[in-house]
Parts: sequence; C-alpha cells; structure tokens
Amino acid sequence: MTMIFEPKADRPPPPSETGLVAWLRQNLFKDIPNTLMTILGMYLAFTVLSWVLDWALFNAVWDADTRRECLDAVGRSGACWPGVVEWLPNLIYGLYPKDAVWRINLGFLAFVLWMVPLWLPRVKSKVAIGLMAVILYPFLASYFFLGGEKGFVWTALIAAGVWGLVWVWATALCERATDLSVGAWLGRRIAGSSDEQIQKRVRQGAALLLYVICFGLVSAWSLEEVRTQFWGGLFLTLVISGIGITFSLPAGILLALGRRSHLPVISMLSTIFIELFRSVPLITILFMFNTMLPLFMPEGTDVNQLVRAIVAVCLFAAAYMAEVIRGGLQAIPKGQYEAAASLGLGYWQTTTQVVMPQALKIMIPTIVGNFIGLFKDTTLVSIIGLFDLMNMARAVGEDTDWLGLFIEPFFFVSLIYFVFCYAMSSYSIGLEAKLSKGRDR
Amino acid sequence: MAVTEQSVRSPSSNRSRFARLFYDATIRAIFLQVLTATLVIGLFAWLIYNTMVNMQERNLSAGFGFLDVSAGFGISFTLIPYQEGDTYLRVFFVGILNTLLVAVVSIFLATVVGLIVGLARLSKNWIISRIARVYVELLRNTPLLLQIIAWFFGVFNLLPRPRDSVVLADSFVLNNRGFYMPAPIPEAGFGLVLAAFVVSVLGAVAIYRWEAARRDRTGQAFPAISTGIAIIILVPLIVHLAAGSPLSWDMPVLQGFNFVGGMSVPPSFCALVVALSAYTSCFIAEIVRSGIQSVSKGQLEAAGALNLPGNWTLRRVVLPQALRVIIPPLISQYLNVVKNSSLAIAIGFPDLVSVWMNTSLNQSGRAIPIVAMTMAFYCLVSLSVSLAMNRYNRSVQIKER
Repeated sequence: MTMIFEPKADRPPPPSETGLVAWLRQNLFKDIPNTLMTILGMYLAFTVLSWVLDWALFNAVWDADTRRECLDAVGRSGACWPGVVEWLPNLIYGLYPKDAVWRINLGFLAFVLWMVPLWLPRVKSKVAIGLMAVILYPFLASYFFLGGEKGFVWTALIAAGVWGLVWVWATALCERATDLSVGAWLGRRIAGSSDEQIQKRVRQGAALLLYVICFGLVSAWSLEEVRTQFWGGLFLTLVISGIGITFSLPAGILLALGRRSHLPVISMLSTIFIELFRSVPLITILFMFNTMLPLFMPEGTDVNQLVRAIVAVCLFAAAYMAEVIRGGLQAIPKGQYEAAASLGLGYWQTTTQVVMPQALKIMIPTIVGNFIGLFKDTTLVSIIGLFDLMNMARAVGEDTDWLGLFIEPFFFVSLIYFVFCYAMSSYSIGLEAKLSKGRDR
Repeated sequence: MAVTEQSVRSPSSNRSRFARLFYDATIRAIFLQVLTATLVIGLFAWLIYNTMVNMQERNLSAGFGFLDVSAGFGISFTLIPYQEGDTYLRVFFVGILNTLLVAVVSIFLATVVGLIVGLARLSKNWIISRIARVYVELLRNTPLLLQIIAWFFGVFNLLPRPRDSVVLADSFVLNNRGFYMPAPIPEAGFGLVLAAFVVSVLGAVAIYRWEAARRDRTGQAFPAISTGIAIIILVPLIVHLAAGSPLSWDMPVLQGFNFVGGMSVPPSFCALVVALSAYTSCFIAEIVRSGIQSVSKGQLEAAGALNLPGNWTLRRVVLPQALRVIIPPLISQYLNVVKNSSLAIAIGFPDLVSVWMNTSLNQSGRAIPIVAMTMAFYCLVSLSVSLAMNRYNRSVQIKER
C-alpha cells in the first residue's frame, strides 16, 4: 500500500498577527517608547484638531454685520466668517465690475472646455490640442478679460482663438466617434474620394471657412474694456501664474539649450542671465522692474503695472526652469546623442525628437514643483501694490466694518492656495507613475 | 516626374554658393553668434540710451556720490549704532547685517526643526509619521509671504501689552512690542574665558584629526567626538569659574509702559524668523528623509553582517552616504532663506530690501546704483556659497578610479 504524503492545511496565523490588531501592534504599540510616542502624537493631533475645529466651525459666528458683533458674541474663541463671505466676490474677482464677472467665468470655462479633451479616452491629437491651448487660448482669454477696442490684427488673433476651441472639440468628438482625425473624416465624407490632393483641399477649405465664420462673429462681438487696475483676487493670481507657467517652460527650454550650447557667445549669455536671475530674490526683480522699466522704455511709453509684474515673474521663472531642464538634459546618457547622430539627425531633430522628450519626462516632478513655487511666488506682487488673492485677504481687515479681521481671511485664502498646490503635486505624482510604466516594465 | 528629378540632383553640385555657405557648420555657428551678440548689444544700447534720455528728463543721476550724504530717516532695529543723520552707506550696512541676522537665526532653527521632522517622517510609528507628513504638506503648499503676514498680524501683533506680557523664567519676555532676553555684559577678565574657548575648540579639532589618522593607521577607535565636546564645554567653564565669573546679565525690566534693558527684537523679526524657519524646515525635512532613504538597504545589512554597533552603523555607514545626497540641496535651501528674508518688507522689518531698495531709493531717487548694489550683495552671497559648495561637493563625491 503506497503512502502518499498529504500536507495538512496550514494553521491560520494567530489573531494577534493578522488584521487590525497586528497592524496596531506593529505600527502603534510595538514597545514602550513607541507606545509613549503614540500617546503623545494622539494627544497633539487631538489638541490641534479640536482647537481648529472649535474655532473654525463650532464656535464660529455665521451671521453678523460687523466684526464688533462677532466679538460681542464669542470674542476671539470663534471665527467670524460673515466678513469673509461679504468679501468673497472681491477675494475671487477683485474689483472687476459686478456685471462683467461672467466674462471671467466664461474665460475660465473656455479653458476647462479646451482641456477636457486631454482627459478623454480615444482622443489621439492630444499634443496638438495642448499646443493649441498654449498658443491660441491666451488671445481668446485676454479679450474676455480685457475687452475694449480691437483692431484688425487683434480681431484676427481672437478669431484664431475661437477657431482653435471649435477645432479642438470637432477633433475630439470626431476621434471618439470614428477613430479618424477630423480632417481625414471630412476628406472621406465630403470629398468621398481617396485622392489625397482633393482631400487636402477639402480639409483646408473647411478650416478656412470655419475661420472666416469665426472672424465674422468676432468682429461683430464687442466687450467693454475693463482696465487692469480693477483686476484682483484669485483671478489675478491665476492670470499671473498662468502667464508665468506658459512662458517659463519654453523660455526655460531655450535657455537650458543655450547654456549647454557649444557656441561660446550663446552659452555665456544664457549662463549670465540664469545665474543673475537665480541669485537675487524675486522681490528685488519686481522692484527693479517696477522702478526701472519706465526708465528703460522710450520717453512717454506708459508701462502698465501689471505688465511690469508679469515681465519680472516670467523672466525669474524662466531662469529657474532653465536649471531644471538642464538637470534633465544632463541625465540623458551620451549614447542617446550618439545614436541620434548615427541616424543622421541634426541638432534640432536630435533635441526635439530624442533628447528633450526624455529630459522633460524625467523632470516632470521637478517641473511641476517649480510651477507650484511660481504659483506661491505670485503673492509677492502684492508688495508692489497689486491686489492679488493675498493682498485682497489683507484688505478685509482694513475695511471699517471688519477692522482687524485678519486670521479668518488668511485661513480661507491659505485653504485656496493649499488646494491648488496640493492638487498640482498630486497630479504630477500620478503623471509620473503613468509615464514611468513603460520604463519599469 | 518632378519628384524623381529633384532627388537625383546631388546636393553639392547644384546648390548656389550662398546655400553652401548656409549649410557650412562653422559659418553657421559664427553667423548665429554674431547675430545673437548684435541683438543683445543692440537691446542694451537701446535700453541705456532710453535710460539716459529719461534720466536727463527727470534730473536723476546715476553716480555713487549720494553714499556720503546723510540719509535722514530712522531705522527701528539696528545691530550697529545708527542715528538719523548717518550716511546712506551706513544704511546699506545696517540692512545687510539685519538680513544676515534673520538668515542665520532662521537657518539654525530650520535645520533643527527640519531634522526632527524629517526623522519623524521616517518613524515606524504610524501616527508620528502621519503628523510629520501633515506638517510638511500644510506648510509647503501655502505661500511663504502669506505665512509671514499671518504670523505677524495673527499672532505677534495680538500678543498682550507689556503690562501683561508672557514672562519665562523671569528673563525672557514676550509681548506685542517684541521679544526681550537678558544681554550678557562682559567684565574684566572675560577675554581670558574667550581665549580658553578658542584654545579648547582648536584642541578638540586637533584631537579629532589625530584620532582619524590613528584609526586609519591602526584601526583602533577612540571616542574623539565626546572627548572634544567635553573639552569645549569644561575648559572654558573652569576658566570662567576660576576667573570669578566675569560675566553679568542685563535683565529686561518693566519700566512704565515698556520693558527696558536686555536685548530685544521687534515682533516683525519674530514673525519673520518663525515663518521662515517653519517654511524652510519642511523642505529640509524632505531633503533629510530622501537622503536617508537613498542609502540602500544592502548597506545596512552589510553593517549588520559585520556586527557593527548601532551608533556606528549610523555614524560610519548611513550618515556619510546620506550627507552626500543631503548637503547640496540643503545649501540651496540655505541660500533660499537668505533670499526669502527679503520678504521682511511686507511686515516692515528693516532688512536690506526694505531699508535700502525701498526707503533709501524713494528718499534719494538713485534707482540705478541702489538696485545694482542690492543685486550685487545677493549675487555675492550666492556665488561665494556656491563656490564653497562646489569645493565641498568635490571632496565628498565618490572617488571613482
């Protein structure tokens, strides 16, 4: 009779080694010092949390007309939110005329609409959509925000913005429905022939027709001018950081390439620019542009204060971005350049198709970190007198009804900054994980 | 067939001379550089011309002659004696010293807090590492300027009046006029204590060097660091006591409506230092954490296999490798502290930017020399630190053969 060894089923681990109990024992109560730390930590967390919640929610005053009423009701033990609520429109839109606020909303809605196709599955032309957003959206947005007289060139550029938005959605919908680009689809459907030449004509004709329609619409459309003195709040913060971010990436790439260039004059000029702007604080650059830009310009030119701030922020951000990109470029192994050279690629082909995509990919977390830094640094424009989100929050406490109300608006505004920055950093972590999938396979 | 005809043509034979020049790498490089240089020089010439015209129009001058002129405004907090009638040059130095004071104090505090928080993030205790993470994320994701202003208006301005101030151990006083602490007054014979201190520091360094050399030669260990610390503390202390304690303290005392005596810093200084060091400590914590995590697990296992004692593993295996990763970004954070201290202007602390680039510029109207001097100071600090940095970096990098 043959004996076959039949292993018995493993006994389950003891209850102290699995599940919640084991986790608690491992992470919170491993030994006596650890337990003491846990108790201390819990006490600390509980104290801070209960204090903040008491102040911000349970003891807070929600209904009052002045700060005096709040103080009479709860003193300093609770927050006084009515002041923040009353100032909410100002915190978000600045002193933008109330009946024109829809333009800001619509401008940002257009941005969201432009960006949505980037997240839709089965849309292929994402790079083109992204580039369009960077190049064409600013024209559309600036007319929404600024309005006013527009000459022929300006009308043409705004029409290009409208055209871009329509094109983005046509492409996205078409690619989702048929897997063909909108041009190819039009070519097939309308021309109905497989002749490349005719299809191309149809495509160009359609694009031109659409542009003419947009141009007509834009010329008929007029918005009243809102001068930049009235811009403020979160809106202004987003405008400055948006322009800074859009400018700093391409400018940083060019500066980094310049610094690594073999041409001595170009590399020296780039290096001087980068080192100079990186070694001084942003506030000195803002001051410099604020006091000196009027001196630099030809007599009689009036440089808008917002423009001065934006120029300073852009140049500063570009210098920092250049060093980030250079770090990415340095991480690309020499073999990649040699491989590109052996394929007969020239400098620009090597850069745009081999080196730069890899360099940008490995630097995504740092690039986004820079964007976050730039977003936070836009608060500095308040020092030269622009009413950005932070300066607006400070203004609440100088309102006669809410005199001395500082902590509440700062708390609220910090929350806004936190949400934006945290969202950006979480997104970059996600993006990094997604892009590195190919590498880690 | 137009296409084939074109592709058959050889590139060199039919291209015009101009095209050949255009495709020559050397010529193209020279052309590009000359073009760039011309553009940049042209831009600068245009800017300088405009500036000169504008300055003539407004009767401004670009010279440094104003430095000897009396500035005529007061400064609320100075490290060197300064009066309203002193020169602009002195204002400049007052500003520099205030900036450096803020930077040094903040760097010290930020390093200590950052180290603790960084280690806490690595703690195996779940709740401690969570708390550290929340601290880092909260402070890192809100603007520094907002934090400075919030500390100033929200905390240090709302402190009690001098009458009801917070007093710690009868000598440290905190109220809405600032932070007061006892000031040391050296008496005759204190020079001896200082000399003893210098000598013992030199001695401790010598012992450390000797120990390192002997360890390399013989492999025998000697507790050089603890001996050194003992020497640095004990020797000056003994000299101090032997000389009859030649040091007295000037205590802050409430007199009328305010405290007098001792050393004091204004509330704006406190807000600036607290905010700067809290903000920077987050970044330092992350740097410390990533540095320690960068030491591979195999190194720890190897140290365990050699049966090294616990503190040796830390001191001789983990730290030297972690420091290599930690130091460069740490130094750049220190530089950031120097630069960020310029935000003092938002709460009225008289640092370089506030007192020089703002007040002096508005008073004297000499925009160009003032901006140039401010920028030169920051550039000088950055460049000298990065030079020292590069030398250090070269000495700790892995020496590969």
